[in-house]
Amino acid sequence: MKTYGDIPGDAGSDVLGQVNAQQERLRARMARIHAKVAVLSGKGGVGKSVIVANLAAAFAKGGLRVGVLDADINGPSLGKMLGVRGQRLAFETAGVQPALGPLGIRVLSMDLFLPSDETPVLWTGPAQGEGYLWRGAMEAATLREFLADTEWGELDLLLLDLPPGTDRIPSLLSLLPELHGIVIVTLPSRVSQLIVAKSVTVAKEIVKAPILGLVENMAAHRCAHCGAEEALFAGEDSAQMAERLAIPFLGRVPFDPVLTRCADEGTPALLSHPTAPAAQALSRIAAKIGEALRLAPALVEAEESP
Amino acid sequence: MKFLCVPCDEPMKITETKGPEDGSLAVVFGCPSCRRQVAMLTNPMETQMVRSLDVKIGGQQAPHDPMAFVRSSLAVKREEVQSPSEPSSTGSGCPFTSIANSAFERQDSMGGAIWSEEAAERLNNIPSFVRSWAQKGIEQYAREKGYQRVTVEVMEEARQRFGM
Repeated sequence: MKTYGDIPGDAGSDVLGQVNAQQERLRARMARIHAKVAVLSGKGGVGKSVIVANLAAAFAKGGLRVGVLDADINGPSLGKMLGVRGQRLAFETAGVQPALGPLGIRVLSMDLFLPSDETPVLWTGPAQGEGYLWRGAMEAATLREFLADTEWGELDLLLLDLPPGTDRIPSLLSLLPELHGIVIVTLPSRVSQLIVAKSVTVAKEIVKAPILGLVENMAAHRCAHCGAEEALFAGEDSAQMAERLAIPFLGRVPFDPVLTRCADEGTPALLSHPTAPAAQALSRIAAKIGEALRLAPALVEAEESP
Repeated sequence: MKFLCVPCDEPMKITETKGPEDGSLAVVFGCPSCRRQVAMLTNPMETQMVRSLDVKIGGQQAPHDPMAFVRSSLAVKREEVQSPSEPSSTGSGCPFTSIANSAFERQDSMGGAIWSEEAAERLNNIPSFVRSWAQKGIEQYAREKGYQRVTVEVMEEARQRFGM
């Protein structure tokens, strides 16, 4: 009796053909983007999206054509942070025109599909009770469509803001035909570093994309009155952690209420408060990433002459 | 998944797809040698799993519509996100995804179910952005079970079934 391997083709279901066509559309769209970089942590609540919004602003300020994909399907926040929530998506034959953020940053987020603040992502379907079996696949298909069907145009850089969860990193990033780098964000707390260390392993051993480096967020709090710095967490020094994990250290971003206030207002602090210490730290980090990707000498110049 | 006609030792070919019926799809396979046919019937979870791949058994016939999957799969969405071909907020421009949505759509075409006063009051307590979606799901459940009337007990059964 014949076995599975003895039978060529798919009996006419054309499932494989359709999956191949999906991948081809994705490849064609991504081919127009010079560098694709994922920003991840594995741990939630580390301020990753704020970092992404400000890095995007830094690159756009340096004259690059930048896109941002909010890959956090269930907890989208970049639409808010980049001030595009009120924009309407335009559905055209060639693709969906993304929202336009500050300095022309192209933004796509699930937030742009939802009608109100209170609306969560709910999927139609006949098997709601077994959601744990298929929700991951729905999210992956959604992200593939976000990548492939958005009219990103020619971009120098596409930043992907990944959701928390080390398990999501390979499943989401495997959609991309090529990934030029991974930026990993941590807090200087032992709890955060515990999770982030796992993400580094996943990035190195499963995703196998270049790790551009580790960013320490909420590094310390500077008193607005006396200027004294105070550590907020008592974890391992993140530079030492990066050294221990054999990845580059990109820098520290101090805790600064300006960052979160600007995120709430929909304007990256790097643009509205460029002299704030956190904004300057983010500019330096962007310059290092740009250098690693050989993207933009202009970024370094912009950082050196505020 | 492939089907083999054991007496002929021949791979079977898809000859027809039927449905949707109650979230289930029937895919008919035939043996090219002896012409014997078998049908693969999917349960709602299996239908949903295939739907999650954004494919149509037998091949896509309509041209690619950008973001058709997301637009047809979101239960609650902005007005401009709705596909042009969608007759309702849960309809689908994609032939296969319409299979999974059809249960809800068909209920629309049948008109509203009869709700007890207590059940209707409980329905009104569901947040507005998911109320119509929940209503359709509960009515569909009641219809599947042969209930003539949606009561609080029926709502509770549906809630447990759907994990709402």
